[in-house]
Amino acid sequence: MTRSKSTFGAILLRLLLFACAWLVIAGTDPGSWIIGAPAVIAATWASLRLSRRDGGSPRLLAALVFVPFFLWQSLKGGLDVTWRVMRPRMRIAPGIHTYRLRLTNASARVVLLDTLSLLPGTLSADLRGDVLTVHALDAADGAQLDADIAQLEQRIGTLFGERLAAPTSEADPERADVLSCRDAKVAQT
Amino acid sequence: MTPATLLLWLSTACILAGAFFFVAGTVGLMRLPDRLSRLHALTKADNVGLGLLILGLLLEAPGVLNGLKLVLVWLFVLVASATGAHLIAKRALRGDGEDAH
Repeated sequence: MTRSKSTFGAILLRLLLFACAWLVIAGTDPGSWIIGAPAVIAATWASLRLSRRDGGSPRLLAALVFVPFFLWQSLKGGLDVTWRVMRPRMRIAPGIHTYRLRLTNASARVVLLDTLSLLPGTLSADLRGDVLTVHALDAADGAQLDADIAQLEQRIGTLFGERLAAPTSEADPERADVLSCRDAKVAQT
Repeated sequence: MTPATLLLWLSTACILAGAFFFVAGTVGLMRLPDRLSRLHALTKADNVGLGLLILGLLLEAPGVLNGLKLVLVWLFVLVASATGAHLIAKRALRGDGEDAH
């Protein structure tokens, strides 16, 4: 019974949030609700359908730290790609790099994927199980990429209040496999 | 120089800088060699370009509601472009998209 109760709260919260967003976008003209009301209801429905139970939400205080970091990094990302493509001879060595995720929280993973794409040099291309495929404009230094992604993962872990397991080194693939099996079991239950 | 003109200059500078990043993103789209690399230019340069454009407009925004609207537009575009880039990259990489041949 607790489930339907929490769903009711979730519906109300989403309706309110989307209604506020509509108000900000469309202004106070009451006529705009002819389109706004169906849009808000559709957005609420989609949001409930797409959200996962094990999602969790970011912590407010950690978000205050994360936002300036994100703004600064995305500015660096824009400058980096601009610098690379505006030179007469482009400085790129594009390639694919794989990384084993330690984050398990579904929402945190989505935030990681989207943030990683806006950070300098990296684009999250695919995620299968725990293995994240990253496309990098300069994939020459794999260790540096690993360190960058691990640092971002750590920050997003803090944002969602998730403690990460100790980093699994590339030289020890068996240990990484054991970890992923355990995570897969947790996900199934 | 009055504060109003200073604000106008600041706002113009932000908008011009934003336009520059849009140009850079487009240059990247044309110059970069493959689909995945092009996504880099589009997501990152356009994100900063739109961010600066919005910042410039925020300085001239006539009210709080209008300012909020601008920030919201930036956030929506940010999420949409990052997610869109990921979906395109995933399809391109797996090679199971409609244009896989």
